[in-house]
Amino acid sequence: MKLSLTVNGQATTLEAEPRTHLADLLRGELLLTGTHIGCEHGVCGACTVEVDGAPARSCLLHAGACAGASVRSIEGFAEDPVMAALREGFSAEHALQCGYCTPGMLVVARDIVLRLPHADEARVREELAGNLCRCTGYRGIVRAILGVLAARRGAAT
Amino acid sequence: MTAPRSGHGVGASLRRKEDARFLLGRGRYVGDIRPAGTLEVAFLRSPVAHARLLGVTKPAGAEQRVFVAADLPEIGPIRANSALPGFRVSEQPALAQGKLRHVGEVIAACVAPSRAEAEDLVAACELDYAALPVVSDMLAARAPGAPLIHEHWPDNAFLETRRDEDLSDLDAVAAAKVVRRLRTARQSMAPIEGRGVLAEWDPRLEQLVVTTATQQPHVTKTGLAECLGLDEGQIRVVSPDVGGGFGYKAILLAEELACAALAMRLGRPVRWLEDRLEQLTANANCREHHYEVTAWADAGGKLLGVEVNATVDAGAYSAYPFSACLEAAQIGSIFPGPYTLPRFRFHTVSACTNKPPILPYRGVARTGVCYAMETTLDALARQLKLPPEQVRQANLVPPEAMPYRNLVGKVFDSGDYPEALRRAVAAVDVAGIRARQAAGEAVGFGLAVFCEQGAHGTSVYHGWGIPFVPGFEQAQARFTPDGVLEIRTGVHSHGQGLETTLAQVAHQILGVDPARVRVVHGDTALTPYSTGTWGSRAMVMAGGAVAEACTQLGERALAIGAALLQAPRAACVLRDGAVHAGEAKVTLDQVARTWFRSPQNLPADVDRGGLEVTAGYRPDPDTGTHSYAAHAVVAKVDTETGCVTLESYVIVEDGGTLVNPMIVDGQVLGGTAQGIGTALYEEMPFDSEGQPLAGTLADYLLPGATEVPDIRIDHMETPSPWTRFGQKGIGESGAIGPPAAILNAINDALAGRGAEVLDLPATPARVLAAIERALA
Amino acid sequence: MKPAAFTYARPADWNAALALLGEGARPVAGGQSLGPMLNLRLALPEAVADLRHLPGYAGVELAGEVVRIGAGTTHAAIEDGAVPGRLGEILASVARRIAYRPVRNRGTIGGSFAHADPAADWVAVLPAFPGHAVLLGPQGERRVPLAGFVLGVFETALRADELLRAIELPVLPQATRWGHWKFCRKPGEFSKATACLLAVPGAAPRAVLAALDAAPLVLADAAALRAAPAAEAARLVATLGLEDPWRASLARVALRHAAEAAA
Repeated sequence: MKLSLTVNGQATTLEAEPRTHLADLLRGELLLTGTHIGCEHGVCGACTVEVDGAPARSCLLHAGACAGASVRSIEGFAEDPVMAALREGFSAEHALQCGYCTPGMLVVARDIVLRLPHADEARVREELAGNLCRCTGYRGIVRAILGVLAARRGAAT
Repeated sequence: MTAPRSGHGVGASLRRKEDARFLLGRGRYVGDIRPAGTLEVAFLRSPVAHARLLGVTKPAGAEQRVFVAADLPEIGPIRANSALPGFRVSEQPALAQGKLRHVGEVIAACVAPSRAEAEDLVAACELDYAALPVVSDMLAARAPGAPLIHEHWPDNAFLETRRDEDLSDLDAVAAAKVVRRLRTARQSMAPIEGRGVLAEWDPRLEQLVVTTATQQPHVTKTGLAECLGLDEGQIRVVSPDVGGGFGYKAILLAEELACAALAMRLGRPVRWLEDRLEQLTANANCREHHYEVTAWADAGGKLLGVEVNATVDAGAYSAYPFSACLEAAQIGSIFPGPYTLPRFRFHTVSACTNKPPILPYRGVARTGVCYAMETTLDALARQLKLPPEQVRQANLVPPEAMPYRNLVGKVFDSGDYPEALRRAVAAVDVAGIRARQAAGEAVGFGLAVFCEQGAHGTSVYHGWGIPFVPGFEQAQARFTPDGVLEIRTGVHSHGQGLETTLAQVAHQILGVDPARVRVVHGDTALTPYSTGTWGSRAMVMAGGAVAEACTQLGERALAIGAALLQAPRAACVLRDGAVHAGEAKVTLDQVARTWFRSPQNLPADVDRGGLEVTAGYRPDPDTGTHSYAAHAVVAKVDTETGCVTLESYVIVEDGGTLVNPMIVDGQVLGGTAQGIGTALYEEMPFDSEGQPLAGTLADYLLPGATEVPDIRIDHMETPSPWTRFGQKGIGESGAIGPPAAILNAINDALAGRGAEVLDLPATPARVLAAIERALA
Repeated sequence: MKPAAFTYARPADWNAALALLGEGARPVAGGQSLGPMLNLRLALPEAVADLRHLPGYAGVELAGEVVRIGAGTTHAAIEDGAVPGRLGEILASVARRIAYRPVRNRGTIGGSFAHADPAADWVAVLPAFPGHAVLLGPQGERRVPLAGFVLGVFETALRADELLRAIELPVLPQATRWGHWKFCRKPGEFSKATACLLAVPGAAPRAVLAALDAAPLVLADAAALRAAPAAEAARLVATLGLEDPWRASLARVALRHAAEAAA
């Protein structure tokens, strides 16, 4: 099927089988390999991207459902100040090791920061439950997100 | 040479150089690489655990795109032998021949332009087999008359080991005796990235190029050469960014052999990417142990003797290179752990079953051994009515005994084990827990003390005689003409941060700014031979090798610098990235530029060794470093649901000199999270027909951010006297202690109810069953 | 893990959707349950009809004393307060604990209810409410009481030619009491026992026990449970004949906690 969608701000038209999921479209057709495939059943969160402004599992969106959508993958946040702060925090808090879960983790972390500005540690952990990391034990990830939240709250007062 | 003053050398929590690409989504993993014309492979895998394979009917019209064993006779079997007496080696065909021995065993490779179409071919294949009786349990495997998995063997054992010592007198003299039967579950290591292989034939170099997610590219190259009948020079293995290893990617794969043969046969790049279903159902391959432990102690808790009968479910084949016996054969030597055990008797079995072949998962046999030993010590403490720490203190190797050789010949390098335990206990409000218990609350306190032998080398492994005996680790240090220092290492970094820590080591020696040090790894064409990253060896072995190569490179640079400064070499020193002679200095950039690009500025008699050095390193002795730790856990049990909550988790850890404390903490925390999975969540159950029952991550539970508490780490730093900087291997440590500490906490919480959980993981159902058994 | 081939259609209106259904297409809303089944080849539809863009499929309308929630309303929208009043508070608290936020952003209340996984949250909760599922078929709309919608494991009152169009719920007085408890070892895990109790002033309290690998158990009058949670929970669960003592214990705990929370 022919498919038109917006990816990282650019209108794109491609040809895809209806069974191809968004993660494979991004990675295979558009060479945006920052979106990683971890389980293809919606549990691990590695493939999480932003679809129409909200995080979604790209492994569970098959081609047809993407028609007309606006998709933002990890490659599409270059100018985003919240993502920049999170990247800085992730490095400072050693929130990544092998890097495989990191893009999905960052997309979800950014959503937490913007949607739940008053989230405490317990809430941050709960919101991260759908993103598995096998390397870090999560402490650095949690601390990085809490750090960005605190900095933004500080800046707002 | 003197230590740099920059604060970027050994001991600095330098931020990781590799972070930037991962944070931008620019890491490059096997699945990100797809040359034009790549064909994707999906494998037809065995749906049954034990059967005679009668045939595969290929889909009509697709006969040329489906390959069974007979189609690829150029692939020889995988053989991972061991020199231990009595070891029976299996032959594992890359594509099944004659028999099917576990669910998920590869039968045929189906090739198509896309993975989806390749899976369509798999679905269209018809498989003909005759089912055989299944051996799904390691104890049943040993029962008389059990079906034989390798029919020319007399029984289902790869290997048995034993130490005979008569302990029959201890019953009469011991104040306490406990017997425990314990079981640990089979697990999937579950790195978030699965395995993946891309094989291509390079006609220019006449070379097979295999890009594969491996922890040990050089070992994979040798294994491919052996099984494919190629010279090693005809093979290049590239291991790009790898999304987690943990031992899962320390193996020569049947899938690598199949893709390699197909790439040569078809003249096209051929790629296979493991999916989660394959990973869980075909490759749950670690940690399944059974222990029967008997321990005797005096009234003060001092151990008088221990007897252990251990069985490890090793699966159907001996995996390359670590063999089927790596776990069981270690149990005898590591069971005494950090304790001064006076008498010891053991018997171990590497049992062959209709399950995937086992691999060494982070901690290897240590996690199970620690679980068995530490829960036994708590059982003794309960029987003697002594605090658990007192029983341990009565038995720990004292610091003044270091270096210490125990009764099975294991040598411990350095450390203060009792102090680690004291600190861990002091970090917990034990009195508060006892008060809550007295009020009826099901809360408990659990300890585990253990040591982690790491970076053990030739003197340990040659006795096991596995296909790879690690020896002299090599590294290359070289300057580029613009003065960048390139470090080339044959170990692989897949989360450990070696691109940073090896740069810190280089900086420590040469003073070059770590930002100007490039660490190159993951390519056999670019790096010196190495047995790879496993066994907590990289920082000791590769760190030592990098230091040695940099030291020698520094000597070369010093000679050139002295010539440029027109000063006697003896008057020159290398400091902060420059050669100094009194007030005069020449930077290493200038040294490199001169050597490569302006040799006219050098005298004719200058040292001609050049600025590229490969050096080998081996610690002496190389029996391994012993990091050690005490874990202290407070756990609360919901006695209605069986749910366990970790209230607090404290680790006192000694990894010797820490090259990068931030990264070490990361390793400890990540390992501990995995250990929490082993303790409470992760289990691949198999039914009596050998069918794996957890096919998704909704069934096989991995710990998430809500399951891992905010762990406190307290460091001790006792340098190893045997390594370059005093560093010790510490990469696996975190994964060793949690099952023991957590189960001890659970059983402490349940002690008042007379209940005890013996099997891992302590799922709510198991915890509740233990409570109900106690009530019955 | 790639799906078998299927065709995709995005009907522009309800008649087109029903026509596709008549041709054998598998309806899909957010795809968060069907997606994994497609990838695992556990579901092998030849055709998929994507309902997400149907007019009125998503969204909440208030008509007198009835709140009509479009079947395509996402869990996240409900979590974020799309439903007004006391009812909205209750539904938001349920929605927040469904799977994970990225799944909630796509998954829908109607898709989940119609899928009828016994462990699913709406399957366990909606039968407690005195409302209706609005079904649309070739003959038009019909309403099925929520308590009678889910008939078994993956089995509902929907006929093969019908679609779930909306959920209709009553506006609830602020004094409505609500208790809800589910057992998951970690957030997002499939529940092993879920119970809820709804007590609307002036009406008999209603309760549901679910996630027991069977159709939910609906108690149209849960007064006894509310009066004596522990004893009544034990009595009720004993009547179910659950084989696994752990699951039986969880069921008792769920009922009791739900009842106590609604006290």
